[in-house]
Amino acid sequence: MSKSLIIAEQSEIIRKGLVYIAEAIGIFRSVREVACSSALMDHIERYQPDVLIINPGMVSIENLENLKEQNKGDLKIAAVVYALFDDDLLNAFDDVIMVGDTRQKIQRKIHALLDKTPPRKASRPENTLSARELDVLKLLVKGLSNKEISDKLFISTHTVISHRKNITHKLNIKSVAGLTVYAILNEIISMEEVQ
Amino acid sequence: MQDLIISGKMKMADIINHDKRALVLMPRFGIELGFGDQTVKEICADKGIDTDFFILMVNVFLNPGYFPDRKLKNLDVDMLLLYLENSHKYYLEEKIPYLENLLEEFKNSVDHPVTGQLEKFFTQYIDEVKDHLAYEDHTAFPYVAALSEQIRKKQLDLSGIDYNIGVFEERHDNIEEKLSDLKSLLIKYFPTSNDRYIRIRLLNELMDFEEDLINHARIEDKVLIPIVAQLEQKIS
Repeated sequence: MSKSLIIAEQSEIIRKGLVYIAEAIGIFRSVREVACSSALMDHIERYQPDVLIINPGMVSIENLENLKEQNKGDLKIAAVVYALFDDDLLNAFDDVIMVGDTRQKIQRKIHALLDKTPPRKASRPENTLSARELDVLKLLVKGLSNKEISDKLFISTHTVISHRKNITHKLNIKSVAGLTVYAILNEIISMEEVQ
Repeated sequence: MQDLIISGKMKMADIINHDKRALVLMPRFGIELGFGDQTVKEICADKGIDTDFFILMVNVFLNPGYFPDRKLKNLDVDMLLLYLENSHKYYLEEKIPYLENLLEEFKNSVDHPVTGQLEKFFTQYIDEVKDHLAYEDHTAFPYVAALSEQIRKKQLDLSGIDYNIGVFEERHDNIEEKLSDLKSLLIKYFPTSNDRYIRIRLLNELMDFEEDLINHARIEDKVLIPIVAQLEQKIS
């Protein structure tokens, strides 16, 4: 019971919910609440918490980086999220707690923060296709099957499927017909090649 | 916008003002606009619609988390079928032709050879939707109607009907994938068109259609399928 926690969140219902879940873990000597960002810095300075759970809307990315610098990694900061935020901002946190997470999941995340496990490095969303993915895309929109693509590129069908998943994920286009339009638009293949 | 759970005492106009998605439901129940300050209950009584049925359907349609539970028991299956057929009619006679016109306009506003591919893609999508609707209209719904008719006449003889709602459930695959792709292409990847408003209009309508179809599918999953499964149990 030696750790201390600050929860910064405007919504009382969410703040109290987090307090309840955090206290149930039984490792915090104190759990403090902050409801508005103006009191936040003052609280952190005064109470030197080990963990801060905060609504990303209450802090700017510069503030966040300053905070981390001042505390030299002794302060772990998690975001509590129920709206859409910029990935750059969320990546600056040690972890992200979703409002829809189960109690167990939230408690696991808090534990992981204190275990000094290296902060989760959320991979930056990379939307451009790799050279290999482009190869797969070209063959795919020409109407080749997974098996045919795997023979042509000397990779396993499993790898082809995994490339396809990544392509779909990056482009947010699932169907071959949709990918075809994308490929033509981006001059990955020519109109003639798909006919 | 907050979720809306409607009741019989609410004014119909308030419901539509609160959630514009309720607007498309009116013709599906045969309700015409211009009802003044009448409540749901009054309008239903006027039109011979079972109020509980109306409330159930609107709540399922507007709220993804709404679960109808016991209220399903006394639901009029023929009324449900009429509603579903009216919805299909709206898609086929109103929405799809409108989308086709908008796409044509968009095509003309983009100076790029790929629009031919886009049209092909869109046509494939529309054909899928039409196949899906036709299957329900010509196979699934007639089966449900026959089932309900037999129960009414207390004949309880299903020999000669080689179908069950489980088949429908399996075939009830999602036709939203292509629509989502179409949206991505229009939002992210298409070159700038000469008329930016036509593109916004097209996207708006596509998103509206997408949402309508999702809500419609929820009615089929949460109301139609459980009811028919209940009817099937009665017979077997």
